[in-house]
Amino acid sequence: MDRNNIKHWLKNPAKMAHKYSLTVTYFCTGCGIIEIPPTITARWDAERFGVTPGASPRHANLFLITGYVSLKTLKAIIRSYEQMPDPKFVVAFGSCPINGGMYWDSYNTIKSLDKYIPVDGWIAGCMPRPETIFIGVTHLWTLIDKEMADGYKKYKKNYKFYRKNQEMLYGKLDWEPFYPIGGDNE
Amino acid sequence: MRETILNFGPQHLGMVGNFSITLSVDGDKVIKAIASPGYLHRGFEKLMENRTWAQNFPLVCRINVIEPDSMEMVYAMGVEKLGKIEVPERAQFIRSIYLELARVASHLFGAWAYANMLGFDTVAQWAMYHRDLILDLFEELTGARVYHIYINPGGVRRDFPKGFKEKIIKTLHTIGGCIPDYNDTFFDNRIFYKRAQNVGKLSRESALLYGAVGQVIRAVGIPYDIRKVEPYAAYDKVDFGIPVRDGGDALSRILIVRDEMIESVHMIFKLLDMMPEGEVWNRPPNPFKWNIPQGEAYVRVESARGELGLYMVSNGTDKPYRVHFRTPSFNHGLYILEKVLEGENIADVGNIMMSLYVVAPEIDR
Amino acid sequence: MNKKLIDEIITTFKNTKCQMIENKRLIINTKKDIIHPLLKYLKDKEFTRLALISCVDWINDNEFEIIYILTSYLLEHEKSEINVIVKTRIARDKPQIKSIIPIFENAEFYEREICEMFGVHFEGHPRLISLFLEIKYDIPPFRKDFILREFCENTFDKIPPVGDEK
Repeated sequence: MDRNNIKHWLKNPAKMAHKYSLTVTYFCTGCGIIEIPPTITARWDAERFGVTPGASPRHANLFLITGYVSLKTLKAIIRSYEQMPDPKFVVAFGSCPINGGMYWDSYNTIKSLDKYIPVDGWIAGCMPRPETIFIGVTHLWTLIDKEMADGYKKYKKNYKFYRKNQEMLYGKLDWEPFYPIGGDNE
Repeated sequence: MRETILNFGPQHLGMVGNFSITLSVDGDKVIKAIASPGYLHRGFEKLMENRTWAQNFPLVCRINVIEPDSMEMVYAMGVEKLGKIEVPERAQFIRSIYLELARVASHLFGAWAYANMLGFDTVAQWAMYHRDLILDLFEELTGARVYHIYINPGGVRRDFPKGFKEKIIKTLHTIGGCIPDYNDTFFDNRIFYKRAQNVGKLSRESALLYGAVGQVIRAVGIPYDIRKVEPYAAYDKVDFGIPVRDGGDALSRILIVRDEMIESVHMIFKLLDMMPEGEVWNRPPNPFKWNIPQGEAYVRVESARGELGLYMVSNGTDKPYRVHFRTPSFNHGLYILEKVLEGENIADVGNIMMSLYVVAPEIDR
Repeated sequence: MNKKLIDEIITTFKNTKCQMIENKRLIINTKKDIIHPLLKYLKDKEFTRLALISCVDWINDNEFEIIYILTSYLLEHEKSEINVIVKTRIARDKPQIKSIIPIFENAEFYEREICEMFGVHFEGHPRLISLFLEIKYDIPPFRKDFILREFCENTFDKIPPVGDEK
């Protein structure tokens, strides 16, 4: 914990502020959502780690993908993710976004989430316990410190490829590209 | 009159689960609601056709995340009926106790969601904590908090551990002791009455016409409960009441949830006293060579939300030929919700949806 | 009561086979065009609730089997246990059957699901549009000739991972 280390704070106050007040987009993407209420209520109390649910993706900086992602949900996830302001972090909760998990041969769930949006951290398990969210969050802190949680930068840089993958799945997408395609998005 | 189209969900604070409704609104009034499910569709019934009978057990409980146990039960009942497998007496009692604990846990989750939606944050925190106490019991019994895979064909996976009965009694006393607090802060609260009374009203005739089950039909004064009309597990050996109200609105439905919770707690105490000794599992043969005889079955149980049915066809191989779940939320969350929402306020949409006890993964499957 | 009911059904409707299992499930096999009068008849006989509409793909017979499950709201133990399972077979090449919304209102979404998953067309259905699925599948996914692994390999596994290099 570098809360007491004021020098460290002053080096990059904005980064520290992002790190210790992770606001989660309120989006129940799958069955992992069942472990979120225990996490945010009195027994486990995620607010100890600065994690709170936020009403709108425009006010959030952490996207917790809770569980399997069906094709219809992925569209909503991409839209919500693009609405979130930078810097934004994505943590996938549960086995299903990693490789499909239980639904590895399902026709309506995607198998690897990081082909469509960048993911900074993975929490494996079905169902992961609430404690794992805290372990995931503390790991995310380390990544933010080392500037390794750079998924949003990757999304900007490689947007062409992400968009191509999304279009391979859905055919033509019914919204405009988020970043200009073709130019160098550095 | 100016009609506006409003997309409600899936990313919305007032939405329970991953579900979306397209509302045509005039000012604050809903003129027409169109439910659009499918955000959680995984094609379970197709997946199950491609897995063996034993492999389907871990899969089937994942259909409904809030109460996976009734899903396990209905699948085990279907397999037992097709394969003609006997279940020991003690296992029937353990199943009933386990299902009732799951019902209490599910209703507490429902109370959390409903209280949270109306702004009763204190009650929501209590309900979630009390649900967690029951999950601790499940964890000790089965090893997992949410998905237990405990009920297997021919019985249950393991017997109660030592001292488990006392733990159940202690936990239920803790929860039951807080019911007066729940009543004072929530169920008898005037704010709750103002928010829920005469909201989402469904008349007796239309409830019968739409084929409602569970709390929705019991809220119009019909004590229809599968545990009574077609008893399974050990429900025919125990005496229990079915709470009924005749308001037909959100208030009646939520009060029935509370009454059912109390009734379930009483029932668990009775079942614990009556429990016989003996075996708990007639183990099925080698699961890799386990063929179920040809045939079809329709089995049903009373889940926390109403009648849960399973239509199952076997063609004599090691995999089911076709399974189809009749989930209560499918009818409640699509047809009845669309009908009930007409003429209500936008602010009450989530309220009504939760009072109908709609669980999105159960609709989509 | 059960015996009388079975006799009445067999005499009233031609080409109908009835079978009672354990006094709980009444299975009726019938022809496609008798479905409407039969369901109306059963609805008058206290089986007022439609529990489920299902479909089974019998690919070897080249037929779909449509299944209607009806129950009652009766509370007396002996009567309430009975579930009527009405079954009919239709051709698999151009599957078509009359919608039963005029008899049971809440059939709407069950029929939509069957239409989407099996490609069975219900005549007279007011909105037979997509319910669950987002993308178009060449073969409706619940048909037996839809192979899951093949589809996943062709769709999801073909999408390349996004790398930093390039």
